This record gives sequence, C-alpha cells and structure tokens, in this order.
Amino acid sequence: MPIFNSPYFEIDKKETKRYAGLRNSDFDEEIIDDACELARLVIKPTGIWEIYDYDSKTQTVATTPPFKLQGNAIGKHLNGCTKVILLAATVGIDIENEITSLFKEGKYSLSLMLDAAATTAVEQNADLMEKAIKNHVSKQGYNMKWRFSPGYGDWPIEQQHEMLYMAKGDEIGISITESLMLEPRKSITAIIGLYIMEESCAFTSANRERHDCSQCNKLDCPARR
Amino acid sequence: MIHIFDGAMGTMFQQLGLLPTGYCPEMLNIDNPDAVTSVHKQYVDAGSTVIETNTFGASPLKLAHYGLSDRAREINIAAVKAAKAAGNNIKVAGSMGPTGRFIKPVGDLDFEDAYENYKVQATALADGGADYILIETSIDLQEMRAALLAAKEVTNLPVICQQSFSEDGRTVTGTDPQTFAITVDAMGADIIGVNCSLGPEQLLPVVKAISENTEKPISVQPNAGMPQLVNGKTTFPMGPEDFGEWAPKLLQAGATYLGGCCGTTPVHIAAIKKAIAGLEEPSFKPLRRRLMISSRSKTVTIDKDLPTRLIGERINPTGRKKLAAEIKNGSFLSVKKEAMDQVKAGASLLDVNMGVGGIDQAQAMKKAVTEISQLTDAPLVIDTSDATVLEAGLRAYPGRALINSVSAEKERLEKFIPLAKKYGAAILCLPLTDEGIPKTAEERIQVMDTIISAAKKAGLKDGDFLLDGLVMTVATDVNACNQTLKTLQLYREKYGYPSTMGLSNISFGLPNRPLINSTFFAMCLSAGLDAPIMNPYDDAMQNALMASMALLGKDPNGRDFSKKESNLAVAKTAAVAKHIELTPLEAVKQAVIDGDADSMAQLIENALATGVEPNELTEKCLTAAMNDIGVDFGAGRIFLPQVLLSAEAMRAAFNILKEKFPAQDGEGKGTVVLATVKGDVHDLGKNIVGALLENSGFKLIDLGKDVPAEEIVSSAIKNEADIVGLCALMTTTMTEIDEVIKQLKESGNTSKVIVGGAALTQDYADEAGADYYAQDAVIALNIANEIMDK
Repeated sequence: MPIFNSPYFEIDKKETKRYAGLRNSDFDEEIIDDACELARLVIKPTGIWEIYDYDSKTQTVATTPPFKLQGNAIGKHLNGCTKVILLAATVGIDIENEITSLFKEGKYSLSLMLDAAATTAVEQNADLMEKAIKNHVSKQGYNMKWRFSPGYGDWPIEQQHEMLYMAKGDEIGISITESLMLEPRKSITAIIGLYIMEESCAFTSANRERHDCSQCNKLDCPARR
Repeated sequence: MIHIFDGAMGTMFQQLGLLPTGYCPEMLNIDNPDAVTSVHKQYVDAGSTVIETNTFGASPLKLAHYGLSDRAREINIAAVKAAKAAGNNIKVAGSMGPTGRFIKPVGDLDFEDAYENYKVQATALADGGADYILIETSIDLQEMRAALLAAKEVTNLPVICQQSFSEDGRTVTGTDPQTFAITVDAMGADIIGVNCSLGPEQLLPVVKAISENTEKPISVQPNAGMPQLVNGKTTFPMGPEDFGEWAPKLLQAGATYLGGCCGTTPVHIAAIKKAIAGLEEPSFKPLRRRLMISSRSKTVTIDKDLPTRLIGERINPTGRKKLAAEIKNGSFLSVKKEAMDQVKAGASLLDVNMGVGGIDQAQAMKKAVTEISQLTDAPLVIDTSDATVLEAGLRAYPGRALINSVSAEKERLEKFIPLAKKYGAAILCLPLTDEGIPKTAEERIQVMDTIISAAKKAGLKDGDFLLDGLVMTVATDVNACNQTLKTLQLYREKYGYPSTMGLSNISFGLPNRPLINSTFFAMCLSAGLDAPIMNPYDDAMQNALMASMALLGKDPNGRDFSKKESNLAVAKTAAVAKHIELTPLEAVKQAVIDGDADSMAQLIENALATGVEPNELTEKCLTAAMNDIGVDFGAGRIFLPQVLLSAEAMRAAFNILKEKFPAQDGEGKGTVVLATVKGDVHDLGKNIVGALLENSGFKLIDLGKDVPAEEIVSSAIKNEADIVGLCALMTTTMTEIDEVIKQLKESGNTSKVIVGGAALTQDYADEAGADYYAQDAVIALNIANEIMDK
C-alpha cells in the first residue's frame, strides 16, 4: 500500500469560497486569507492507495476477500475498466479541533471559512495523489476515470465500511463510526477506474475527467457547480 | 554543437511483438540483444548521434517488480553493449528512469535507499562503457537529487538531468523549471533538460525558462504532441513533419540536444535532422549569475535590483527555552509555527538553527528541514557550525539551500565549502578569521577575498555568494556603524554580490534599542543591504523597511507605502465615521448588517448617550438587522459567511449590553435545547444555528454532537425548553431524529421540535413528526421567532 503525503501546496482560495457557499459574492478577503493560512498550518495531508484487478461484468474488485460494488451508477462509471485504485485520504484531526475551538471563541465566520479551507485541502490532497498515481499507472498503459465515492449516485453509503477497510485507511488514521461517518471528518475514500490506452506514455492527459456535480442528488448543495 | 537523440523504444518493441504480458522490457538486453541493437540502429540511420540505452526501468528498485533486482548490473551492462553495437560514431547515454516511488516525506522511500539504487545502476552503466548518464522522466526533484549525487559519486561521466513537467508547468511534486534548473546546475549536472509529458509546443516555454537560468547545454525530448482520444484509443497526433518543424524553434530557445519521447519514431528523428540541416548552433548571451535559493517549488532571487528579502531568524533555540525543549523532545510544534508565522510576516527565506545541547543535532536538522519544507515554500538557510549537521540538512533538503555560514576560519573553509559544492548550496560568507574579527572595512574585504577565492577554487561561481556586513556594538566601538556601512558599500563596488547581516548587535548596551536598530537598518539599506536576517514580527523594523523602500525607489513613488493602512491618518475610525449620517440606532443596525464588530462598542456608546433604552436597542437594531439579513439571505443576495459575520457583530453588541446592564442577563426570548443526534459527528451546521439563536436573544442549551435521545429529552424537561432543535447530516443518522421525537412525545414534553441537516427534507420531517423543518440556519431562526411570537 503506497503512502502519499502531499508536498506543500497552497490552499485554493476560490474553491474555499465555493465550499463556504459564497458563490461569486464578495467577502472579507482577509478572513479568507487567514483561514487558508491557518488551514495550511494545521493540516496533515496524507493518503494511501493500491491497485486491484476489476471485473466490470460482476462489479467485483479482486481484493481479499473480493469486494462487490453495489449500484448501477458505479457499475456504469467503471464499465470497461480492468483495474481499479482504492484510495483513502485525509488532512487529519487537528484542523477539526481548530474549527471547533474557533467557533467557541465566537469567531464564527473564520471557523466556517476554515471548515471550507479544510474541505478544499482534502480535495487538493486527493488531486495531487491522483496526479502521482496517474504518472504511475500511465506508464503501464492505463488511463484513469475520475474518482467515485460511496454515496455518489446510487452507490450505497453502507459500502463505506468495506471501502475504508480495503483501502487500509486505518494505516493513515481514518476510522469509521457506526453510522458510517469517516473520522477525521475531513477524509475521503474513493475508487478510480483504470482502462487500457492504445499507446502508453508516462503523462497522458487526454480525457481528463473530474467530479461531476450533476451526478449528485443533493440539489440544494451550496457548493454545487 | 547540435546533438540528436533518439525517439521512443517501448512502442517499437511492442510493435515487433517482443513484449509479452508480464515480461520485463529491460530483459530484452540479455534475452535478445540483437533486437535491441536493431531498434537502436533504426534511430542511428535516421540521424541520432546520441542513443539511449534500454534501461529506463533497470534500477534494482524498479526491477524488483519482476523479481530481477539482483540482475540489475548484468542488464545495464548488456544494454550499453547492445547500444554501442548500433554504430561507430555514436554516443551512448545510459538511461536511469524513476523508481516509481516517492521519497520521504512525500512517500515512504528513504533517500538513502534511492541513492544506493542509482549507485548500482550508474556504476553498471559506466562499467559497460556509456558516454553519459541520463537521469530522465523524473517527476520528483528529491529523486533527481539522489540519482545525481549517486551518478557523481560513482562515475566521472557527464550527467544529463531531464525532468518531466505536467501541463500546469510543474512536476507532480510541484517543482517549476527554474527551480529544477538552478538546483541541478548547482549540484553539477552537465546537461539540463526535459522529456516526455508534453509536446514540443508546450515544452518550448519550459526550455526558455531553463535557458534563462543556466548556461549548461540544454536537452529536450518532447512527445509527439498532446495525446488525444480517437475512437476510444489514446494516440499521439503529431506527424514527423510537424514534429520536425519545432526543432529549429527549440534550438533557438536554447536546446542543443534534440530528440523525441512517447509517440515518436525514427521518421520523427529524421524530420528533426532535416529541419535543422545547415543550422548553426545559436550563440547564447552569457547570463549574469544572480543569487538564487530554492525550495522544492519556489526560487527566491536576492539581488541589488530587487526588493529587499527578509531572512527570518526565529527558528533558533538560542535563549528560547520553550523552543529548545520542543526540539529536544521532538515535537517541533513551535518550529513549524514559527516557520508559518514568519512567512506570513513577510520573510522570504527561513534560517533554521538546531543548536540545542545534548541532542543529535544532525537528526534534528534533517527533521526540521524535512518538516518545514512540507509546510511552506520559503527556501531554507541551514544555520550551524557543525559540518555533520550541515550535511544532514543539505542532503535532506529538496532544493538549493543557503549555508549560514562560511568564514575564513580554517575548519569552515576546509569542510563547509566542499559540502556547498557537492549539494549545490549557496554560501553566506562571514569575514571572520581564526584570529578574530577584522575591525575596518578594508580588512574585512581582505578576509572576504580569502573566502571567495577558496570557494571559487573549489568550483563555486558568481551567484553562489551572500556577503555578511558584520555588525559590532556601537556602545563599545565608536566606529562600528560606519565600518559596517562602508563594508556594505565596498562589497557592492568590488564584487557586486548581494549582502546580508543580523542587525540588533549594533544597539547592545544602549537604551531604546528599537530606535537605534530601525535607524541603523535604514542606513544599511541605503548602503546596499539586500537580505537582512531579522525578526519579521518587529514592527519598527518593518516600518523602517517600508519607508526605506519608498525613499530608495524600490517602491516607486511610495505606492505600496501609501496603501498601508497604518500610514493613513484616518485609519479605522473611517468605519465609525461612515455611520455618521445615520441616526445612532440606524448606525448600530447597519454595523450588524455590515458585520462590523470592531465599531460596535463606539456605536452603542453613541446610541446610549442619546438616551436610547437597551430594550429599544435590542428590538430596533439587533433583531431588526437580523430580520433584514434573513430576507437578504433567503433571496440569495448574501450567503452564510456574511450572515456569520453579522452574528459576530451581534455577539459583540450583546456582550457590550450584558456588561453594561447585567440585569438583562437571562431574560431570553425563550429557551432552546440544541443537539446533533446520536451517531452523527458533524456539528458546524448545528453550531451556526446555535450562534444565530443565541445572538438573537434566545437562551441556548447546546448539548453538542453525537447526543443520545435520552439526554436530549431529559434536558428539554429540566430546562423547560420552548424549542428543541435537532440536527442530522446523513441519511444514516437521520433516523435517530425519529427516535428523539418519539421519546419526547412519550415523556409528555410539549416543546416544539425543529429539525434540519443536509440529508433532511420537509417530507422526512413530517413523517418523523417534527413540528418544523428548517432548510437553513436563518430559516431556523425565523421559525424560532415565530414560535415565541405565538
């Protein structure tokens, strides 16, 4: 199971604003800057991943024991893939404590922005992992689908348990509650489908796909694109 | 001279059917060397003058995938032999590709393991008779450094360093072309270049960026354009003609080694040859080598024509007990915090000193350098007097560091300068000798001559030096200031190298040291100080710097100076002033709407002075403001963060009122018990609802998150709650809401129940038997107000 601790990255302020639900409105830039800088100080971006064979007919990942993916959305998404990557990533627990204590101090807006910055950091961390993984798998002739997580479409969130277990999320400090929430909260698990390219290259960037908000049924999400 | 590399090999093996599934492509060197030679020969016939061995994946770590690690030497030697057999007048470059893993702290591979790995491969390639070592397709500057150090250690061959950049112009691990070029140039790379990842068009600016930062020859081996998806298959679109046309442009941009990578064939190489036929190697202007220091992802230039760069001095345990203790116990929390805070305060570089007694300082330096570089992109200065500590820091650092410091003391000259050369570090030169400190500027120049000539003799060049002006104490030496100023001037006249120094020594023993320090600072900046080592939190020094920049023309016409709020007469009072046209009550209301907590104390004071009652203030300003905000929020004119800023202003107002009229305390609008239900650990949304309620005059009992139904019910009863607010974020936890409502009803409690959370809907709330569903925090507040008005 390779570990990937993202090298230094600046937290994307535009995305932070989006996750805070600010859309395109103006907001005190100083608070956004403070939140992104503070987030940078307390996040510990890390991740873990592994490649497995995948049978798209039976929607089964060749883990031990085999892991059958439920739902049509994930099946459709991974159609034609012969391998998949299971990954788990987190930015750690410290930032959560910081969000909570800031709110208690009455710094409501900074706390909210920090929460959004943390979400942004989780995604950026996963994006960087994906970039590194892409480099790795494309040398073996594979292209990547975008990452898909339990709860997207009709993929039941109940499979979060197996996802985390198979991705060995515990090795980077992620656990799961009885009600299927990841802890630290700012964590993700995801599956990425791999399909064969005709000509291989270390850096194929064609067909770069990304998360598609239209797949999600949370229509009133404040961060919906 | 212009050299032509070859193109892709793997695809040609594939087309010849030589690579069955699961077969290691490098084993062909042993199993079928004639086939390897024949592919090489196709490239030689097409015009290649340098061909690359079939050893991209032939390092022991990479061969481990096939269980072939122990055959690495044999495979590499065979590969060179197969390449040499392709022609007589060709050069052979021994290819070393990535390990496929990342070096710590990014990944789990130890730097030393990567280093040993490449030592094995480079030794074999050299022993086989290669003419160059080619480190290629690298995406991790740290891995490149390990391979380059290894190649330099075990061979005398020229080393070609080729990195691969993604579309955003950086490597996967964040390195830009400039940083790459100056880092490997300083470490002794002989040819610097780029291959794979992008087509010639995208690599043209990369080649330009490299050529602006090194005088070493440059190589470029693009893919045949950007891959495209055609009928579900990835293909490289660029034909040989088009590909060849880029060759003269790449040559003009500075690359004299031209070749191809993925998607290119012997026909592409022939097209390069044709396109550059008859062209001369362009003559490149010599570079003015400036001092550049870099982290993994950022280069900072220190030069007389550029703004002053601050070197933050705070990561130094001398005289700081807490910091020293943390370094000793390995927690490093303050080290990391100082790194972040100094960068925030304007430091461009960070000095790192681990001088704590009784610890393994080399280990501590390695750890500090590693951790700080994950946290910030400010380049680092390794500050130590111990060569072992220095080497530990330099080896671990993924970039080009600055060494603090090299004096004319025998030990420093003998031990520090070779380390600077080996690791490509710049040096901070301190005019000290074994005999002591030279007092006059002229004597200091003499000492500086000794240091610089020793360094140049060892291979350091212009652009590797930062000169220390040396500051003595004016209380004991009347000429201390004048000599330092003169030293700075002489440095600039004689060498043209940038200068540095710590300043505070000047005022030792005098009263009002900040005044002396900042005045001295301004004088030094005028005399040519480029990169002071200082405490970036020091306002007096920062102000002196800002004013000096305006005076010395580095902040043209004082533009930045004029923007700084603290330099403006009106400053913060402007916020209060803008409310002047409003009545005192309106002004308070407006401040809440604007989220202006800072002006609140003054505005409330103003309102109370006109005889307004606190009740009136609450009703007409605070509640009214919240209503307006709710309307704006509902209409999508403002969003949650703005609402929360207003809530902060409300909070400030209530705190002021509570303080002034303690009797008001506890007289709430009504009591709300609020909780995130059992099994759910999300509480930010619930906290936001709580903040709005509390700052609108409700008495709030916040039970927190993951709260069992029994606890919510008993709290509602005990506190005679008017309202119970329940939050659940996920479909997996919202069923617990049903349970809480059921138990509330069974207990006979008549509190009104409001429910909310991301996964909830009106329908769900109705079925669960809730009285109200609140889609967002503002609606929750409106509902709570409605309930109490009934």
